[in-house]
Amino acid sequence: MLIKSWSRYLLPALLGAGLFSACDKSLNDVELAERTPEYAFPLFSTEIGLKDLMFTILNDTLGGDTIVVNPDNTMTLYYSGDVAEKPATDIFEFFKFPDAPIPVPDTFFRFPFNVPDSVYIHRADVLTGLMNVIINNQLPHSIVGTFSIPQMSKNGQMFSYDFTIPAGQFLISPQYDLSGYLLLSDSNALEFRYEAYDPSGNRIVLPETAPGIPGMGILLNGFTLSYVQGYWGYSEYPLTLDTIDIDINQTDLKGNVRVKNPKVTMTVSNSWGFPTRGVVKHLSFIGQDGKDYKLESSVFFGDSIDFAYPSLAAGEVGQTKYTSVTLDENNSNIAEIFNAQPVKLIYEVAGISNATKDPNIVGFLTDKSTIALRMSVELLLEGSVQDFGSEQILDLNFGEYSELDSTDIESVEFKVVTENSSPIGAKLQMYFQDENGIALDSLFIGEPQPILQAPSVDANGIAIGSKRTETFVPMDVERFDRVRQSKNILMRTFFTTADGGLVPVKLLATQSAAVRMGLKVKLRVGGE
Amino acid sequence: MKKHHILPLFLGLFTLQTAFAQQELLLHQQSDLWHANAVNPAFFPSEKRFVIGGPSFGLDAAHSGDITYNDLLREQGDRTVLDVGNAINKLEPNNDVYFDQRFEIASAGVRLGSMFLQAGYAVRVNTAINYPKALAELFWYGNGPFVGQTLEIGPAINTANWNELYLGLGKRFGENLTIGARAKFLSGVGAVQSDENRRKISALTSNDIYQLSLTTDYAFHSSSIVSSIDTAGLGFDLSLNEIKNDFAANGGWAFDLGLQLKAGDRLTLSASVLDLGGSIAWKKNANYYRSQGTYAYNGIGIPGTDILNGTTDSLDFDAALDSLNDVLNFQKTDSEFTTELPMRIYVGGSFKLTERWVLGAVLHHFNSERRKATSVGASVHWSPLKWLTVGGMYSINDRSAANIGLSIVAKPGPLQLFILSDNALNAVTPYGSAAVNFRFGGAVVF
Repeated sequence: MLIKSWSRYLLPALLGAGLFSACDKSLNDVELAERTPEYAFPLFSTEIGLKDLMFTILNDTLGGDTIVVNPDNTMTLYYSGDVAEKPATDIFEFFKFPDAPIPVPDTFFRFPFNVPDSVYIHRADVLTGLMNVIINNQLPHSIVGTFSIPQMSKNGQMFSYDFTIPAGQFLISPQYDLSGYLLLSDSNALEFRYEAYDPSGNRIVLPETAPGIPGMGILLNGFTLSYVQGYWGYSEYPLTLDTIDIDINQTDLKGNVRVKNPKVTMTVSNSWGFPTRGVVKHLSFIGQDGKDYKLESSVFFGDSIDFAYPSLAAGEVGQTKYTSVTLDENNSNIAEIFNAQPVKLIYEVAGISNATKDPNIVGFLTDKSTIALRMSVELLLEGSVQDFGSEQILDLNFGEYSELDSTDIESVEFKVVTENSSPIGAKLQMYFQDENGIALDSLFIGEPQPILQAPSVDANGIAIGSKRTETFVPMDVERFDRVRQSKNILMRTFFTTADGGLVPVKLLATQSAAVRMGLKVKLRVGGE
Repeated sequence: MKKHHILPLFLGLFTLQTAFAQQELLLHQQSDLWHANAVNPAFFPSEKRFVIGGPSFGLDAAHSGDITYNDLLREQGDRTVLDVGNAINKLEPNNDVYFDQRFEIASAGVRLGSMFLQAGYAVRVNTAINYPKALAELFWYGNGPFVGQTLEIGPAINTANWNELYLGLGKRFGENLTIGARAKFLSGVGAVQSDENRRKISALTSNDIYQLSLTTDYAFHSSSIVSSIDTAGLGFDLSLNEIKNDFAANGGWAFDLGLQLKAGDRLTLSASVLDLGGSIAWKKNANYYRSQGTYAYNGIGIPGTDILNGTTDSLDFDAALDSLNDVLNFQKTDSEFTTELPMRIYVGGSFKLTERWVLGAVLHHFNSERRKATSVGASVHWSPLKWLTVGGMYSINDRSAANIGLSIVAKPGPLQLFILSDNALNAVTPYGSAAVNFRFGGAVVF
């Protein structure tokens, strides 16, 4: 009975203890099982438009260069030299009068004026000028008379000045404004004439004031012309000497660039009213190899070309005539030269007036007459490149990734995605460098990889659609450890156009290339 | 306040899954047990006048599918290892976790002629969680294996923890019919209730370069549990309140009704409705958290012109990582809310075959906002000794058609001690079970 009585309490106690022990699975020391979660996230993305790229190339270097987007979205690069503008007054100097008075030693005096060689002035229109007549009467009696310049008239009236001078007096006439006067000559000389009379009416010659100093003279100030007409004989003069940098080829990396149908254009604007021949004294490219490549063309006649000019006979005074000469693969050796990837164009051009020495040519110049010459290299962005290289260094900061415990990382895999609507493909290699520029590792083991493939091109060399390229770059933890400690990336890119760079392609302003990169990191966490 | 990282919260979610379902079919068939009045207020130990109820703990929990505690935890040497991956393989596309816990702290009853009074105090927790398998996979495997897939990872969580103070009255009508009623004052402690109309959290890892996008229209109410969602760090932390509220701060009422009918000398019928009209109005520390919008992370965007112009000459991922903060960007607003208590219905009967053998049958129906379930069972009880009764039950519920329940009730002297489970095998091997149900407790009756 005692056992039975105790069992009333023992049985429930045992059941309770058993239940408790069943539940006694402590969670205090639970550890996460080993696992290898994988996390994927994007790193960066960028898109570069060809138009932006080309504009940047130009803005970095020559301010005068332009890129033109043509109506069909093709782009043309213009590398231009300075405009060599020559006002006529820089070349031809007329009527340079002395600062001192011009002596008039006799009643009729021919004053030869200063003109360039081989030029004969028939007519000159005065733009500005002030003139005084100076008379010194050393005689003991008064004199009266008239000073005149028969070749100088205004509104049909010859210039003349009447004077009366008491005995022993010195006279300076009022100052005459010569604007609007017309000078006519056929001998490059001006004629001065005076008639002087004593009180008895006898014509006299003014005696010299001092030995060699006549009693009459004229003083001219600020004399300029607005128009000169005459005969220009043969005369050579310099026009321009300049250099054009062609930076599209100015990289240190090797490549094989072929530009289809490059052009050099010489444009002349001319308002000189007589025939001028341009003489190409020097026209050559400097190749990447430093050699001089002479540009030869059939458009030149013995390295010369006649510039168009406004004709006096045709009533074209004040007009500007243009001459444009284009040297291309059809009339020059430029295509051959561009295979050498030139980096400069050096040119020198001189001018020759009346190169044919025609004695009957009558020409003119105005005070605004200029001749301007501009040389430019025109590259339609159509061509092909093979392994054309570029380099860029970017700072790099992996942030928190650089502090990850590498023991947690099992592997990583970069994914590079490119979408390319341009006909240019690229191979890439990235070198991860430390702060001293020492390469720690590279993105790809071995050779650069074709991460940017070009779409096919049509018969016109225009890319068809867009080409997407995915490149996976697996990396073990040892390599990733080195990479994420890097501070710089040296990116070496080698461009090749579609179809292996064997066919010319066109670059359109609307084309672009997008580059994106993501990363997968596989961790090993948990466990012991 | 305590701060918890999302990791332990997530692990907590899984450990909850090892808990189980509160049908308590066997308890309803033990009408002479004082604690049986928890499932039918018309029950009062026969021929007893005064009762002091001791603690009684009941747990009913389940996880959908076949996932068990042992799927998550395994022994490896002297260590216990949590291996979510092993459990993930058993998950269904959408998974449910139920957890219903009742802890009777103290109770008392007195019979006054044909009437009896009852009073008591209990603590209850009711939780229902629905979560997609993708959430567990994303946590455990990372987003790498799911590139190109849109993962719907928004869970729905309804959980409430409350105190019950109850007072009941029963009356016997004639010799055969007893009717009981009980009013319960509910004092809410803490709650989280998902907004059923806003539970979208979609995560996509693009198959391009793994651009991440998170689209949310997700919201939940919380009282006292979540006080803020701090996204200041990488990832985000929940700031959790200690679960403590004024007793009357979050109040509510619920009612239990029951009857017991003796249909002859051998047959007894019973029925009850529990937590009728039960609800709690959450006013203290009640907030509404909402995340709405689309967050996209595409990596560092470097304009091509910047590269060309030299404006950008570096790749700095540090700043980019910082921008991962505030992804969910929960907006917090003050907002009172109400939670409904799940209603339970019992209908049962027992047939006294002999003095020692009793046969019975019971039906239980559970009805909550997120879950409706019905179970039925057939029982047999044997009293080999006057103070000892053992019982067995075969029952069918929405999870299994093969549940074997056991009960042991000992009544040494004035004591009533019991332990019972509607699924006894699970109760003694909870780590290998997807559902567990048990209850034990004691009382002194006179």
